Amino acid sequence: MDNKSSTMAWQAVPPLRHANDNEHGCDRMSRGNVLDPTALRADDIPLPGPDAGPLAGKTVGFRLDEIWRAWDWIADIWADEFRKAGATVTFWRSNQGRTGVEGERLARELEQFLASIDIAVVGLANCGSCTGWTIRDALAAADRGLPTTAVCTAVFEELGRNLAQRGGRSGLRLHVLPYPLNEKQKHEVDAVALEHLPGVLRTMGAELAARQEAVA
Amino acid sequence: MSTTIRPGAGAARAQQAPDLRDCGPQGCALDWLSSQRHEAEVDDVMEFTRFALERGWGDGLPLIPPTEARVRAFLAGNNRHADEAICALPPLNAPCTVEKIAINAVMAGAPAESMPLIIAALEAMAHPDFELFGLNATTAPVVPLTLVNGPVRNRLDIPCRHGCLGGAPTTAVAIGRAIRLIMKNVAGQEINVTSQSTFGTPGRVAGILFGEWEERSPWAPLAERRGVGGDAVTVFGTMGTMNILDTSSQSGTDLLEMIGKWLGYPGANGFSPSMPYAQMMLAVNPVWAQIIHRDVPDLADVQEMLWRFSSLDADYLTPKHREQLENLGRVSGGRVYLATAPQDIFVVCCGGTGGLHATGFHSFGSCLTQTRAILPGPHAGGQQA
Repeated sequence: MDNKSSTMAWQAVPPLRHANDNEHGCDRMSRGNVLDPTALRADDIPLPGPDAGPLAGKTVGFRLDEIWRAWDWIADIWADEFRKAGATVTFWRSNQGRTGVEGERLARELEQFLASIDIAVVGLANCGSCTGWTIRDALAAADRGLPTTAVCTAVFEELGRNLAQRGGRSGLRLHVLPYPLNEKQKHEVDAVALEHLPGVLRTMGAELAARQEAVA
Repeated sequence: MSTTIRPGAGAARAQQAPDLRDCGPQGCALDWLSSQRHEAEVDDVMEFTRFALERGWGDGLPLIPPTEARVRAFLAGNNRHADEAICALPPLNAPCTVEKIAINAVMAGAPAESMPLIIAALEAMAHPDFELFGLNATTAPVVPLTLVNGPVRNRLDIPCRHGCLGGAPTTAVAIGRAIRLIMKNVAGQEINVTSQSTFGTPGRVAGILFGEWEERSPWAPLAERRGVGGDAVTVFGTMGTMNILDTSSQSGTDLLEMIGKWLGYPGANGFSPSMPYAQMMLAVNPVWAQIIHRDVPDLADVQEMLWRFSSLDADYLTPKHREQLENLGRVSGGRVYLATAPQDIFVVCCGGTGGLHATGFHSFGSCLTQTRAILPGPHAGGQQA
């Protein structure tokens, strides 16, 4: 067979200047109607969802990622603070094998994880596809009615917000950590974790009530 | 402004009078098209291209204005209802309708006969296991490659010989471009908005759309090996093209060793510490394909050799990289393998008869390759690709 085809039906699409254009909205100055090529998603939830509230007595679940050690270190420090406030903390680690048999296994694990917690802290949006999956998992948590906060680094904030909007939840809570982060030494990352503790609590709508009462 | 018939009403009407669903350039008594209309220059391509770019519709190349007449003519060449939702493409996940496909295909300059191929490719990309969600957002330059098998390759002038991955003058470029415009305008993949691709790739403009040179291949067509005979597309999330030159090898085994060793480099996504598995595609020119087949007749053996030679000594990686791969169970006998198993290396035959080169397509990792038959629409009477 020859790779070169002979008669492509370009003719099926009218030429740029078509005899019937005037009958279909074109005036003599060649202006007319074109059809919008974009698709729209109409639904959106602009609200952030429920506050986490006082952490005492609640189970906070951190979604970790195989690839980001800095997020592990930050989650450890925040988890310690949450425990001091009377919360129970659990962790679930994702990787990017979210397809096929491995993907089905991770989907089941995620489902079990979300069913076992009261508050979700989902990270880390620190690369393109990581942001995609962070937001997707955060949306899954939010759709279950869990107080949910996604965590991203600064470079990926806009992507995170855009993906949340396109996922139907423009109001998703998003806490932003500095970038670069994973390239820093542990003591530098630990400092970031402590510096951002008040901020992430605000984003979560959470209160360290138990610790405050103890101090009082 | 034309009267709009809501989706659903059109389908119901068409069931009663299917001959009215495609009315051609002259239009119908009823308007089957539901897209918003914009007033624009429709004869001046450059002016329309500027108009489209301002609205975020374009890719920088000239666009054909998708007038109602042109879109209707494109639809008339097929047997699909305009309001038929083919799939949902992430991240937007809005319905990807036949109408939106036609509008973008007209803008790209794709022939009407390419609609079934475009639909099959989009359906394949929309499969959850293809992981378009991550692919469209990632910092990686990954783009879906579309490989065409079957007689449709000739009917649509899909290149499979010299310059098949770029440079062959063919309408296949416009077909690939149509798919890319759909990814932008319907799926919502926008650079630095929903896509963080650090560098991108030329393949994100007009796609990577090529055919297998089945007549010269010693192996069964890839789609057939994957269970789909005849006209079919296979989509593969590729990081781009990697050329492999070999002017020394004389035997099939030497060629496979050389190719395999070049495929295995530590920075390939197949060795990413976040990817628990990966696939690989290799395009072999017809000259080498014959030599390889002569010396290694069983394709499974070919795949096994490529798999083995493309593996790396785990100690070649940095300690943290190795540790992360070990956590994913990817280190076996001190080695890390580029693809999960030998059968995850897909070997196809295409390219020119000058030989000397192979092309490696490294995968993104989590995008599992999908194959779909290219089928006419569900309604009788239309043209087929």
